Amino acid sequence: MQPDMLEKYEDQVWALAGLMSGTEGLRMHALKAAAEFGLPTKSAEPWRYSNVRALRETVFTPAVAAKSKPALPGVVVAEASARFVFVNGRFNEDLSDMGDLWQAAQVRPLANHLMSNIARADELVRGKDAITCLNTALMRDGMVLSVPAGVEIDDPVEILHITTDNDKAGCHLRHVIELGEGASLTLLERYVGDESGYWTNSVLQARISEGARFQHIRLQEEGGKALHTAKTFVNVDANASYRATNINIGASLSRFEANVRLLVDGASTVIDGVALAATGQSHDTYTHIDHLMPSTTSAQIFRTIADSRGKTSFQGKISVEKDAQKVTADQSFKALVFDKTAEANAKPELEILADDVKCSHGATIGALDDQAIFYLTSRGIEPATARRMLVEAFTADALVGVAFDDIKTALMERISDWMAERASTLDTQE
Amino acid sequence: MLNIKNLHVQVDGTEIIKGLDLAVNAGEVHAIMGLNGAGKSTLANTIAGRADYEITSGSIQFKGKDLTAFEPHERVGEGIFLGFQYPVEIPGVSNLNFMRTALNSVRKYNGLDAMSAAEFMKLVRAKASELKMDPEMLKRFVNVGFSGGEKKRNEMVQMALLDPKLAVLDETDSGLDIDALKTVAEGINTQRRSDTAVLLITHYQRLLSYVQPDVVHVMIGGKIVKSGGKDLALELEEKGYAAVV
Repeated sequence: MQPDMLEKYEDQVWALAGLMSGTEGLRMHALKAAAEFGLPTKSAEPWRYSNVRALRETVFTPAVAAKSKPALPGVVVAEASARFVFVNGRFNEDLSDMGDLWQAAQVRPLANHLMSNIARADELVRGKDAITCLNTALMRDGMVLSVPAGVEIDDPVEILHITTDNDKAGCHLRHVIELGEGASLTLLERYVGDESGYWTNSVLQARISEGARFQHIRLQEEGGKALHTAKTFVNVDANASYRATNINIGASLSRFEANVRLLVDGASTVIDGVALAATGQSHDTYTHIDHLMPSTTSAQIFRTIADSRGKTSFQGKISVEKDAQKVTADQSFKALVFDKTAEANAKPELEILADDVKCSHGATIGALDDQAIFYLTSRGIEPATARRMLVEAFTADALVGVAFDDIKTALMERISDWMAERASTLDTQE
Repeated sequence: MLNIKNLHVQVDGTEIIKGLDLAVNAGEVHAIMGLNGAGKSTLANTIAGRADYEITSGSIQFKGKDLTAFEPHERVGEGIFLGFQYPVEIPGVSNLNFMRTALNSVRKYNGLDAMSAAEFMKLVRAKASELKMDPEMLKRFVNVGFSGGEKKRNEMVQMALLDPKLAVLDETDSGLDIDALKTVAEGINTQRRSDTAVLLITHYQRLLSYVQPDVVHVMIGGKIVKSGGKDLALELEEKGYAAVV
């Protein structure tokens, strides 16, 4: 990062430190680290498929509060335990609905959390790259949710982010999820926004204690000019599980990174995802699953589709440490491309130091099956419907992990709608 | 019902059908016989409207309309059904969803309301049972893991559901054991009515023992070179193509 850019962000850091006293040390250190790492360029291997030049060239100003009450997007989860709404990076109490969740779990906005107990700031992930460090330096709000041991929250909790009228402005969000022993939680994390050129930079960190289960569904539907960078850091304890489904549809460029550490025997994770890239869009997913101990398991299923001049990328790194025997790790990536200008990249990376492990990975990139389309149309099915059926079938494997029917239906509807929008262009190709 | 005149068809720039004439009336079953490469499957695919089958001259009229003006899915709505020589496997799409979407698409094309799930289940179970198809196969993915015979049976169930005016069956009898062959023949015979027609494309006389054709055509080199009654098929089987034409 250029020094003059650092100076400009420094003003933002001081402003936030003034807002949340006691955070200045954390923030300034993070900003210094960000400058040392420098914003990634395509020459950095994990960033080879994403060009974040906009971040290197533009100083994004702090997001300003919305002038009016924003419209809420359609409902995805019919019955939520609670819905937390963040507008332009700020918790909005009026639009949120705490439900009965406060009776079962501890919930508070990050700002309150930091100000009332600054020692807890030490538990926050600081980051080992410029974008995460910038999040630590500039985080303004987020949700801190702790589910006590043994408590199972049945209905999903939703965190909805809405960004409006924030051209060249950044929202740096930090969410912290803690599950006590044997606890369980389903979280739906959603992002929507208008057509202003804003930047969402979000970090979610989770600690899943022994025997706990965390299901995490991310639905990214940012506005068409937005930049979306997000990371999750998850620590999974003995016999605990982290099950994630990541849907990327919006933004001009999205980069999602999942870092999952399987810390103790019996820890498991499933990370699935679907990305749909329209013309000019780029979706990049980077996962790193670290098997630190024996008998830990991971599985990943990613399905992506790219329209003309759209781009989807998947890099999946699996590390199996030296003593981590009896580990199972599977990874499957399949991409559909609609024409020669569409792009799909796949890069599995296996770093296996143990000798008794079962690891598999596969990656395929192809077009929609013409024979299957003809077979379906030869039974009277319209070509657009035929393609939709094939795409639904193609993405179904990546949605298996979504345990709530209403959420799954909503995700499938989005995939169908996306295909319906492509119907006219695909028809003229034939 | 079907009236083909002086049809020429190219695939990838090579002419496969070279001046074919064929007239099929309602209530008739026609068999087209011929060796590999005669252009039989090309004819079937051309009638169904498959892309890459380019009509360079000639005409295909169906019920008095220019068939080539219709997209493949619209031809089904008009009453044409193509039975595939090699039915396609479609992982992830259930047979039931496939058949219901197909039936309702054809109903929509003809201005009818969609059939409810319950009504459809009743209908498809009845058709599967008539054609001796295990109802469990309806729940499986389309043709995935089906044996050759099961795939063809599945084609017959689809035909029975869509109830076409003209069924074009491309080597539906190939690769079948005798039980499956009889079932397929029953499917065809059930479809045989005064208001429907069937075009059977086949290598062998075998199926014609169970489905009696009204007319048998011999196709060689992209043309129909000889037509006759059902005895022509027996003659072909006995003496070979060279002797007959």
